[in-house]
Amino acid sequence: MSEPTPQFEPVIVAFCCHYCAYTAADQAGAQRLSYPANVKIVRVPCSGKVDALHLLRAFEKGADGVYVAGCLEGDCHFNNGNTRAARRVTQVQKLIEEIGIEKERIEMVLMSAGMGDRFAEVATEITEKIRALGPSPIRGGKPAPARAQTKASAKAAK
Amino acid sequence: MITAERKPLEEIVESVASFDRILLVGCNECVTVCAAGGRKEVGLLASALNMTFLKGGKSVQITEHTLERQCDPEYVEELSQLVGGADAILSMACGAGVQELARRYKDKPVLPALNTMFMGASERAGVWSERCAGCGNCVLGITGGICPIARCSKRIMNGPCGGSTNGKCEISDDVDCAWHLIWERLKALGQTDLYEVNMDAKDWRPAGGAGPRTIVREDLAE
Amino acid sequence: MTHPQSNQSEGKVLVVGGGMGGMRTALDLAESGRDVVLVDKAVSIGGLMTQLDRTFPTNNCDLCTLSPNLSQAGRAHRIDLRTMTRVEATKGEQGAFEVTLTTTPRHIDIDRCTACGDCLRDHPECVSFTPGLDHRAPTCMRYPQAIPQAYSINMEQCADVDALVKSCPVGAIVIDDKITTVTETFGSIVLAPGAEVYDPSPIAALGYSEQPDVLTSLEYERLLSASGPTGGKLLRPSNGQAPKKVAWLQCVGSRARQADQGVSYCSSACCMFAIKEAIVTKERFGTDIETTIFNMDIRTSGKGYEAYYQRSKDTDEVRFVRCRTQNLQAGETGALQLRYLPEESDTFVTEGFDMVVLSTGFFIPEDIRTLADQLKVDLNAHGFALTDSFHPVSTSRAGVYVAGLFEGPKDIPETMVQASAAACMAATHVGVTPDASPTEELPPERKIDDEPVRVGVFVCECGENIGGVVDVDNLVSHAQTLGDVTHSENVGYGCSAESMEHIRETIVEQKLNRVVIGGCSPRTHLTRFQDLLRKAGLNRYLVDIANLRDQDAWVHRDAPELATAKGRELIQMGVAAVRQSKPLADQTLPMSQDVLVVGGGVAGMSAALSLAGQGFKVHLAERENELGGEARNLRRTLEGEDVRTQIEHLVAATEGHDKIQVYTGALIVDHGGMPGKFTTGMQVGPQLFYRQITHGATVLATGALANRPSVYMLGEHDAVSTQHDIESLLEDDTDTVKTWSKVVMIQCAGSRTKENPACSRICCQSSIKNALRILDVNPAASIWVLYRDMRTIGMQEDAYQEARRRGVIFVRYDPENPPQVEPVDDKVKVTFHDPILADDLSMHADRVLLSTGFIADDEGTEELARIFRLPRTEDGYLLEDHIKLRPVDLPTLGFYVAGTAHSPKSIKESVAQAQAAASRVQTLLARGEINLGAAVARVEASRCAACLVCVRACPYGVPFINADGNSEIDPALCHGCGICAAECPAKAIQLQQFDDDQILAKLEGLLERITA
Repeated sequence: MSEPTPQFEPVIVAFCCHYCAYTAADQAGAQRLSYPANVKIVRVPCSGKVDALHLLRAFEKGADGVYVAGCLEGDCHFNNGNTRAARRVTQVQKLIEEIGIEKERIEMVLMSAGMGDRFAEVATEITEKIRALGPSPIRGGKPAPARAQTKASAKAAK
Repeated sequence: MITAERKPLEEIVESVASFDRILLVGCNECVTVCAAGGRKEVGLLASALNMTFLKGGKSVQITEHTLERQCDPEYVEELSQLVGGADAILSMACGAGVQELARRYKDKPVLPALNTMFMGASERAGVWSERCAGCGNCVLGITGGICPIARCSKRIMNGPCGGSTNGKCEISDDVDCAWHLIWERLKALGQTDLYEVNMDAKDWRPAGGAGPRTIVREDLAE
Repeated sequence: MTHPQSNQSEGKVLVVGGGMGGMRTALDLAESGRDVVLVDKAVSIGGLMTQLDRTFPTNNCDLCTLSPNLSQAGRAHRIDLRTMTRVEATKGEQGAFEVTLTTTPRHIDIDRCTACGDCLRDHPECVSFTPGLDHRAPTCMRYPQAIPQAYSINMEQCADVDALVKSCPVGAIVIDDKITTVTETFGSIVLAPGAEVYDPSPIAALGYSEQPDVLTSLEYERLLSASGPTGGKLLRPSNGQAPKKVAWLQCVGSRARQADQGVSYCSSACCMFAIKEAIVTKERFGTDIETTIFNMDIRTSGKGYEAYYQRSKDTDEVRFVRCRTQNLQAGETGALQLRYLPEESDTFVTEGFDMVVLSTGFFIPEDIRTLADQLKVDLNAHGFALTDSFHPVSTSRAGVYVAGLFEGPKDIPETMVQASAAACMAATHVGVTPDASPTEELPPERKIDDEPVRVGVFVCECGENIGGVVDVDNLVSHAQTLGDVTHSENVGYGCSAESMEHIRETIVEQKLNRVVIGGCSPRTHLTRFQDLLRKAGLNRYLVDIANLRDQDAWVHRDAPELATAKGRELIQMGVAAVRQSKPLADQTLPMSQDVLVVGGGVAGMSAALSLAGQGFKVHLAERENELGGEARNLRRTLEGEDVRTQIEHLVAATEGHDKIQVYTGALIVDHGGMPGKFTTGMQVGPQLFYRQITHGATVLATGALANRPSVYMLGEHDAVSTQHDIESLLEDDTDTVKTWSKVVMIQCAGSRTKENPACSRICCQSSIKNALRILDVNPAASIWVLYRDMRTIGMQEDAYQEARRRGVIFVRYDPENPPQVEPVDDKVKVTFHDPILADDLSMHADRVLLSTGFIADDEGTEELARIFRLPRTEDGYLLEDHIKLRPVDLPTLGFYVAGTAHSPKSIKESVAQAQAAASRVQTLLARGEINLGAAVARVEASRCAACLVCVRACPYGVPFINADGNSEIDPALCHGCGICAAECPAKAIQLQQFDDDQILAKLEGLLERITA
């Protein structure tokens, strides 16, 4: 905190399951716990809804850190969405390593709806970790040109 | 189905490094099913490439498009509007798809993003195994539905060899001995007499040994 | 829809009192298909709670939690709301009461009044007063979200009536408004008139009348309130300066030894109230303000309250002083001099404070006693309605029920429980009526396909909640710069009736077709704003909420600039997402009208009987081989009721009821489905025979366990037992009891400890109960009670004082230095520190009785919580949806909790919660059909590669490959998790409401400034 230069403020995207982590985040608010403002939450119905593509796109758009927060082991509202999400996070870790992004920039965390304190703790820890890692290696490069995703449906040719 | 795997990112990056506009083409058939080259993988690779270039301070335009099948000219024709705006085409289809693109768009470099592996089946979600080598002369009726060409490491026609131990192949404990499987299956079917059939040495000409193969259906061919 | 039963008479229910309790009762009845007349003597409903700033233990803003209920009450067409109305007379009996109601004139046409305030501005003398600290508060409405939204005029005060009439731009003032009297017939009556707060003026020693800086806790609450007289600033009334030292004096007017000092019972809620005010004072106005609570005992026995108390000491550094006498004088320096005798000292201490808050309790005023008299309802000595443990909301008069403070002093959650219980009981006299009133006219949904996207952004200030941290105007102007945003504004309290109407009008006028609300959590408020869009003629799925309160302002109070910056990004994300949103259609399914009750103790049986009595088929699953639960080990209540006989009656009634199917030895093993159509599998009996049942709702009444901690030689010495253990001895073996000359009771044995931090709530009264019973049998016995805080709440306090009078000796112990118990032959020696004698005492006891209380059934509930996917508290109890306002509903719709599975509680409280759960079940099942929402997965067939990934990944086996060779997902079966959408390699599946375009748009909305 004593450094003269303003410290690096990472942008962190948290994909939060509606049933646990999103509720825990609300709980953190109700308990007036504080955590760094760097974390921005995207609400999803289940951590199993989080696509590897969403995770990668978050980095591509410039996020410095990403995490997926799902229910505790065995507590998924939909059986196993959380374990599926954890596997996808591992897969994306491998892929970003290939790209040259530290794999520590993405992780899976688990918590229950009542754990407001854990939400705040996790948000703080991850922010500090990413702050220590510095800006994402892809930031500072040139802006990404809009990438065309053609909408033409292939079967239309049938 | 034909199975494939994405090449290491580094190799792909190197192959497209000299281009500024890339048309990344997926295929909605076999490679979608084996999670190697469908719309989703196209999206992931596009993202990964974009980030790799951004990291190096380079801005590359990547256009994503997934065809219903890359190995049919009518579908491939769909790209004609897009090709003009690209310096190179990066294909996420099997080798057949890559070659079909190369045949149609002669003036563009067409590069493979996948390594085509084998004709296989899905054992369970996320796992595919080799089942067929396309040898042009099927013997599965004799071998209890288990292919000695595709699944025996030595492709021997009358096995097993001396390397079979407890049902496993000598090359690895992870590989089942195909001839052991054949024997067990024939036993279960009560057809052990088929095991006695002495198969001739494999004639590799229908398997491609006589050069590239073509099938012509006279009634359909135009 | 078909309701299982209709043998009750046609008719309606009269609910007297429009506070939290009365509102809840009215809403429950209305939602379960009954017509209600809700009367309140005041000009607007809401009761005492509307004067609170924040509620414990979540420190939420009350207006925010209350206002949704209020507007619900004002809106529900089955509720005929009549303010300024009193009950004058009653005739008849249950099923057909004839009640005369008198309404005093408001001189305002409620339907016309827009609450613009012009009358108040021009003629303040004509407008009625408001209660509060300053009786000239800026508005006569008691709080900003008043229902009805209308002023009230006092014509007698008005000199120039003509000018007043002219001041009203809409002509709402009615000069010749008269008293109206009507007589109507009601099937049943619920009394929820509340109570009043004690006026401390008669206690001269406290100086309340003379000293401006001496306030009651409710007045202090008004000072803290953003809508209060100081606009939410904490200032000393004497000099307008911020105080540095604030003291709370507990039990003012409660636990009084003399009649002129107030009432003898404990008002139950004041301890938590004071702790909350102390914490809020520090949180909002500076941690350097010293806060001290002077008390006799701290009574925090409700769910989660003990932890709140400990937190106030440990984290918030609130100081607690136990003391005996209190005397307050003005000091020379302007500070108030408080003279008190600390408990462990024999010399008086004088200490100065800037402000002193008197924690005043509740009492029943004369007009409520008169009401009871008119209704021929019996009261206890203190004026509270008489009820009993097994009929907790039934008054002495059949067909008349009671809820809330009028039944006894209590906190909000208990009031909410009783309110639902009273609704359950009142409903037994009144049949379900078809929905005769026209359903709210909804405009047709506007087709927006051809319209350009027009986004409206409405940002809430929510008083200080958002506005106190985030620069709302900055967000509003920032929103205007975002793509497709054509309108943005600050709407104050966005969820107030007034703002909602304004937003609706704006949507229509500006032809908005997408809406972003910057407000609180979508978890709690999305449905309300979706309804609003629908009312404005838009599809309900074209709105998103940016969570500026719970996930921004509340958590970044220390960094307002960062909070504002984050707020801008949250708005960007919301706007980006709604731009991609499309109109969606809801899916519906018929509901099962059967109910599963898990647990066959007092709570489970009571819930089952209440529901079966209303014609619902009930499946009652009990883990043990017989019904009855923990209460089988109880013989009497503190009030002397025969528990065993009552339990036998309950068991017989349950087993004999033809609508109740009892499964004993039943273990729940699997569960699936959705609210309104659950399927639960269980293994029943010694053969573990598998049964699967379909049910619309589930009541969990799985209880808690009697705690048996390994402390004080319990289980090691015959002379040591629990209070529970001697229940039978006291009834059946009085000869043994007669041999005891010395009995020592140790409170909090295994409760309020590190292992089991919660207070078990029932042990203080059970030790008093047993002490009195021992004395009845053996008057010569010497009984010592070693305690930490005596928590004899409500009327239990009278029994506590009786025990003291009859010679029971109470000695406080410090948990750091607990009593020591060692064996001496067939007796035990107990050694403890007496703080008043300032010395260690030891004595040989014939019996040591440990007040061991409850402990959560950790294993049992963990397994059930896992199967039913329900959250639990840290200490293993089931976690309700909202600790204050929804204490019976679990967070998953269709699940309700009753009894000690929720938290430790008495039989009376368990039965009340069971009846409440039965009421909540009825409100759900009355809907008749399940709305599955629109969050279902859809396959875009042209993209599908029929790869089977979705078929394999779906946790419920819903997708299949259809005859066309594409994956197909039945929206009625889809649970909406989105796993298939995330795994599909062809990106052929989208989960509606959460489709990729929306999620990616959110990322872009958030991150565009970084790469762009």
